[in-house]
Amino acid sequence: MNTYAATLERAPAALRRLRVHRRRRAVLGTALLGAVAFALFVATLTVGTTYVPPLDVIASVFGLSGDPGVNFIVHELRMPTAAAALCVGIALGVGGTLFQQVLRNPLAAPELIGISAGASLTAIAGIVLFAWGGPAISLAALLGAFGGGGLIYALAWRGGVSGYRLILVGIGITEFLLALVAYLVARADIRDAREAMHWLVGSIGQSGTGELLALACALALLVPLALGLGRTLRALELGDDPARAVGVRVEGARLGLLAIAVALVAFATAVAGPIAFVALVAGPIAQRLLGAQGTALAAGLVGASIVLASDLVAAQALPVALPTGVLTGAIGAPYLLWVLATINREGRGG
Amino acid sequence: MSGANGNGRHELRAEDLALAYGPVEVVHDVSLDVPEGEITAIIGANASGKSTLLRGLARLLKPRRGAVYLDGKLIHRMNTREVATRLGLLPQSPVAPDGITVGDLVGRGRYPHQGLLRARTAGDETAVAAALEATRTADLADRRVHDLSGGQRQRAWVAMALAQETDLLLLDEPTTFLDINHQVELLDLLADLNRAGKTIVVVLHDLNLACRYAHRIVAMKAGSVVAEGVPEELIDPGLVRAVFGLDCEVIEDPVSGAPLVVPRGRARPRDRVTAEGVISGERRGRFAT
Amino acid sequence: MALGRSNGALAAGLAALLTCLLFVCALSVAVGSRSIDLSGVIEALTGSGVDSTEQTVVRDVRVPRTLLGLLVGAALGLSGALLQGVTRNPLADPSIMGLSAGAAAFVVLGISFLGITELSGYVWLAFAGTVVAALLVYAVASFGREGATPVKLALAGAAVAAGLWSVTSGIVMTDVDALDQIRFWQLGSLAGRNMPVLEQVAPFLAVGLALALLCGRALNGLALGDHTARALGQRIQLTRLGILAAVTILCGAATAACGPIVFVGLVVPHAARTICGPDYRWILPYSLVLAPAILLAADVLGRVVVAPGELEVGVVLGVLGAPFFIALVRYRSLAEL
Repeated sequence: MNTYAATLERAPAALRRLRVHRRRRAVLGTALLGAVAFALFVATLTVGTTYVPPLDVIASVFGLSGDPGVNFIVHELRMPTAAAALCVGIALGVGGTLFQQVLRNPLAAPELIGISAGASLTAIAGIVLFAWGGPAISLAALLGAFGGGGLIYALAWRGGVSGYRLILVGIGITEFLLALVAYLVARADIRDAREAMHWLVGSIGQSGTGELLALACALALLVPLALGLGRTLRALELGDDPARAVGVRVEGARLGLLAIAVALVAFATAVAGPIAFVALVAGPIAQRLLGAQGTALAAGLVGASIVLASDLVAAQALPVALPTGVLTGAIGAPYLLWVLATINREGRGG
Repeated sequence: MSGANGNGRHELRAEDLALAYGPVEVVHDVSLDVPEGEITAIIGANASGKSTLLRGLARLLKPRRGAVYLDGKLIHRMNTREVATRLGLLPQSPVAPDGITVGDLVGRGRYPHQGLLRARTAGDETAVAAALEATRTADLADRRVHDLSGGQRQRAWVAMALAQETDLLLLDEPTTFLDINHQVELLDLLADLNRAGKTIVVVLHDLNLACRYAHRIVAMKAGSVVAEGVPEELIDPGLVRAVFGLDCEVIEDPVSGAPLVVPRGRARPRDRVTAEGVISGERRGRFAT
Repeated sequence: MALGRSNGALAAGLAALLTCLLFVCALSVAVGSRSIDLSGVIEALTGSGVDSTEQTVVRDVRVPRTLLGLLVGAALGLSGALLQGVTRNPLADPSIMGLSAGAAAFVVLGISFLGITELSGYVWLAFAGTVVAALLVYAVASFGREGATPVKLALAGAAVAAGLWSVTSGIVMTDVDALDQIRFWQLGSLAGRNMPVLEQVAPFLAVGLALALLCGRALNGLALGDHTARALGQRIQLTRLGILAAVTILCGAATAACGPIVFVGLVVPHAARTICGPDYRWILPYSLVLAPAILLAADVLGRVVVAPGELEVGVVLGVLGAPFFIALVRYRSLAEL
């Protein structure tokens, strides 16, 4: 009996129902994450020396408020920080999950494999050696991130780049670059050292509008691109051979996706410094919430939520104001451990 | 291009092909014409180069010398996507990403037919459903690949290759690590697909299964093809000794009529040692004379 | 890579390395911003001759520094070899697996918040930090289907180290003095550690080293895999615990004394393995001799390169060790990790 030829014309109704159901879950989940991020965004604009009611904030954000006081507080005072937190979070979330999927390793994060280290070296050199100001430091960080990424890719290239080699070379380069950074910090005078260490931990409020604008443009350009390449990414996930068999130009696709990820992280680092853990945990958390359909967009929203929440707590809820990066470490890490613990107990691979 | 029924003519051949990993040349000067509409099995001992040859044919490896031609064109000059619409591959021991379901996995086989912006079309849905039906994995569609048994998992991967809707299907040791019943099940599926018009090239480590299911056998040793032909004409004790270094007898398989290789070891395995000496293993039970 | 490695040949090789080590020690005592020649060194050590600044430098600064370098180097080299053996992971070393960062973080917090200023006090925090980091790294790396593969262990180590560092430095940032201190301490250095430090840390290191050297045969067994080792009669859990205890003591004490030092524990065992093959009964002694030689050589280099200033040994090793590590990744088949 020949089963194959006979079934080619059958309509796959049940399959379509299943797919619709799962897509609905993904859409719902993403919408929920968007709502959470928006709520945190509004909350950031609400609190401060003067409390502004949420409804007034929302009205002002959409340009519907006539009250100049409220508009001033929302747009001039607080919007830059809130917008920065939002954009940095999205960039780190999307960049991080792209790294993890291309390198096929849930622990691969740009801050661990040298991108952030490259940015740190150039930024700290700017602070300590050249006494540069804000925008110049951000530019230096941007170039350093790209430079670090390029160096690692080149060193890992051996007739092609494999995930594990890229990761390991990245870890080696990170130790190298961080040794240099530590040296610069130790040699600087105490004020520069303080500024340097402040930058190294990462903090939202420290950049100007130029950097933020650059980040926003990068997001507008790169995030849709990343989403559009989703199918290629999913094919890459299967392994190099199956991906090639299915028609993907593996080396080119890998380079392109990594370049997008590095760019997103570079612009985010230029704005806020190397904020730890967001790029690492956003992807796994999104996947946990949305199932394996979790897209880059969901990861971006998770990242935004983490950064907004950290900034909120760091700036408002503590006796001493701490930089955002300390909080992302403190919030992100335990959550990651909780995710790991529950996943392992359920016996799923996540 | 042919229709989904696979009646198009697709020609795959290698000419003086040499393949290498780094400095080590693994396949030497192989010329092979893959017969259309048939099942070709590549056999040989471990490290004879059979998997490498398949990867070379599937465009996964750039040849050091010689060339592979698909439909008369140099396969390496062709567009990757175009090759993927004519030639499907099941690689050795594929690893599925964590958490992926069978339906997802099979869906990814539609990649070469999907443009950058095109959403899923009816054609995609039909192909995926047909692939699931053909491999009898339709009721597994929402199960995670990792939760399946070895046999089920292999069928899911075959379904992914099927979803590509190609006329040529290459499989690299698809029966390794499978229970015997799953091995037969998989090969029966390949036979079905072949009868529907697909040309199949499969690397097998089990000589008897190869004889039973393949129309043509390509025997490799140390990177070269030592013999090629129809199982009934090709497989004899001399060839088996040359390729595997094994002493054997070849009889006729009572079920399929194909050659059946029966190995001869050093001693009769069930000899017993007693105080009086060695008592030879008796034929027992139903086969006692 | 099987060269003809008889026990005799290996013993001869070890003796040769020991000679190199002695030479490097001599350099370490003689070289510095104030260059002292050999006769001066001997006079200082034997107590003959006039008591001069040179003699003070030799006795109070250089000799303790050299001895510390010997002990700490040996500790790092051995703990790297032990980690690689017990995790069957060619990429393990105390810094990559985040253990040094854990020890460092706890020490920093101890000094800033608990005001513990004596090494004999905060070394216990270093031990605690090492253990906490080890547990965290293993937990994080076991995420996912394949468990703790070498690549994931390295990544988990980097993640844990980064997390600890950012939390630590963020907290310390509120205290300018502490900030000033840790930015130097983070470099990993032999400078400024004199007799008192040496006296306090030496007992711990000695215990750790002794424990480590006894583990050679056990490591050979573990290298075959858990099931095989157990079938050969080895008590696996006990062995693992013993080895991890040794690593904790060695890494904790070394970090407490000198701050986090990278790459030595990773590269030295590989070099040792290249010379003597996979037998841990030889790899351990070779690491014991090779690692301090490299550490002291790097220290001497640091003193020479930017004279009259000084480049900390942690920086020198960070810069010079990276190419070795990358070469290892590229060219040795650490492929199927």
